[in-house]
Amino acid sequence: MPIPPHARLRQLAPYALVGTAGLFLFYVATQFEFHRRASTLGPDFWPKLILGLLIMVCACEIARIVFTKNPDRDIGIVLEDMAQGADTTVATESTEPAASHPWRLLAGMAATLAYVALVGTTGFFLTTTAYLAAFLAIGDYRNRKITAALSIGGALLLMFIFMKLVYVSLPIGSGPFAQVTILLMRLMGIR
Amino acid sequence: MDNTLVLLAQGFVQVMQPVNLLFLVVGIMLGLLVAVLPGLTLVMGVVLALPFTYSMAVTPAIILLTAMYVSGTYAGAWTSILFRVPGEPIDVPLLWDGYPMARKGEAAKALGWTLIAAFFGGMVAATVMVLLAQPVAKIALTFSSPEYFAIIFFGLASVVSLGGGSLANALISLCAGILLATVGVDDTYGAHRFTFGVPILTDGIDYLVVMVGAYGLGEVFMRLEQGFRSPQLHKVSDIRTRLPGLGEALAMKTTFIRSALAGIIIGIVPGAGATVASFLSYGIESQYGKNRHKMGTGIPEGIVAPQVAATASVGGALIPLVTMGIPGSGATAIILGAFLLHGLQPGPQVFQTSSHIIYAMFASVFVGIIVMCVIGYFATKFMVKVLDLPEVIVSAYVVMCCLLGAFAARNNLTDVLLMVVFGIVGYLFERFRFPITPMVLGVILGPLAESSFMTTMISFENDWTVFFTRPVASVVMCVAIITLIYPLFRYLRQQPGERR
Repeated sequence: MPIPPHARLRQLAPYALVGTAGLFLFYVATQFEFHRRASTLGPDFWPKLILGLLIMVCACEIARIVFTKNPDRDIGIVLEDMAQGADTTVATESTEPAASHPWRLLAGMAATLAYVALVGTTGFFLTTTAYLAAFLAIGDYRNRKITAALSIGGALLLMFIFMKLVYVSLPIGSGPFAQVTILLMRLMGIR
Repeated sequence: MDNTLVLLAQGFVQVMQPVNLLFLVVGIMLGLLVAVLPGLTLVMGVVLALPFTYSMAVTPAIILLTAMYVSGTYAGAWTSILFRVPGEPIDVPLLWDGYPMARKGEAAKALGWTLIAAFFGGMVAATVMVLLAQPVAKIALTFSSPEYFAIIFFGLASVVSLGGGSLANALISLCAGILLATVGVDDTYGAHRFTFGVPILTDGIDYLVVMVGAYGLGEVFMRLEQGFRSPQLHKVSDIRTRLPGLGEALAMKTTFIRSALAGIIIGIVPGAGATVASFLSYGIESQYGKNRHKMGTGIPEGIVAPQVAATASVGGALIPLVTMGIPGSGATAIILGAFLLHGLQPGPQVFQTSSHIIYAMFASVFVGIIVMCVIGYFATKFMVKVLDLPEVIVSAYVVMCCLLGAFAARNNLTDVLLMVVFGIVGYLFERFRFPITPMVLGVILGPLAESSFMTTMISFENDWTVFFTRPVASVVMCVAIITLIYPLFRYLRQQPGERR
């Protein structure tokens, strides 16, 4: 059965994107500022070599998707090919199509970025407690008592391990948030 | 030889010190847990353990990570055989015969075969590793930049070719990794490369940030999108291990030896690793085994072949790491990172400067296998209980370990931000079927490849043919090129109808 054009477009989009990024970076590499020495390769040579390979691979892959009848088959060795002759049905018979929860994913990414943005101000303990609770909620874990215990207990445990045992100076936060962290540090005997 | 035995004996003495032994046991336990939990992979587990080693001395740190690596190739067999839930790709071939054996009421025997196979594969490979390390290091000392470049090129070529999947995607992933390694100020000319005037890029991108983000956080994002589907486990009434008799084991000596050799060789080839060893060894058994026609119906050969090879690949993969500083797999890349974090560069010189650490690591493989088998024999029933733990809880703590790991390396929140960015990149890679390991190995080996290439060009007046005129370099380069071209050749040879 012929492959519909939109399916081909969807397949070649990542390669077009990466190839375009490669072309842009190749241009950037031509603009590196340095004093060129005679008969010596400059610091731009190696990145250009790799970018050339990257662009070539993308171009070949785009051509393969556009011009071959069955572009689904990748050039490469899949692991099952190595186990030639094996009956792999036992492994695959129960495989269900994976469900997709894009909002959960986006919420998880946003919460993680928010954690990084806030931890310097609100301190490790408070931010971690909030983050762990948020992550469990995003992951659809509904037992509130266990969520609270895991968030608070987990944040305290990690704080104790990293500040007391591994000697990592975790962010204490600023203003009133710092006071909370310092109080907890005193209670745990962390100097 | 005498010197090797003396150094190994000293290594055993070090491993037997209470603190080192404690970290070895902890490493074995963590490796077993990581292998059992479907949400965690072996490489991810070793990555997550890395930040806990920052304040340790180098020897216990290396022992901990090596122990995790060894045991991580074993415990996934339990869940494959009992529940048809492979902890990670290494364990997939094990369920082809292991699960049917369990269904026939022979689960205890299947677990016994796995234990024996892991023990045999691990011990043979560890012995070969000890015997080969010094001679290979001596040969490596004679290498100059063209040979080093050729070996690194071979490593990069094989990770692309043998990674299992699309050659183009693996090449793109590798190029991305090598390019990431070029970001920052160039050592020779002081030129800013791909910094775009952003101060945080001037110092370059730490490979640790890429590894933790892409392997750890990226995987969690992927599972979050899939809604943390926990496996549906059926009840297994009695989980115990029954060892096969000596006669039964001896009857399969050819399978044991063949699979151990395959595992060691695959382990030595940079980029291949335990998963390839496991699949390939099963394939070899299916082609040449005495009971090849019964493979897949629940026979011990189908368990022994992949398990022996997977565990044997550990010893093999440690050889290029310690003798040339070239990691053979994702897990050894992280062990290399641990060496570098403690100011130690693996390579031929390390046998002269810090041989006590290397031999402590070697000894830890032997002791680790014994500890692993003892725990495996007595504790399978309790260890598989962790499968009841909701995946979302495990993942929440995995993310925290990733965030702390990125922060703890340099006490810098910018690294954490970069790690999250690479977590998103790792997710996109998985989503669009771009393998992550080539990118990670590209970030680690990229600077080595560039420096050996540039040194060669300076020393030989930009004559690139030197890679094909020096004997060792030319052989390695030709093998690397064949490795790269083989999948393409195979694709072109297939009939158009087969290119499904």
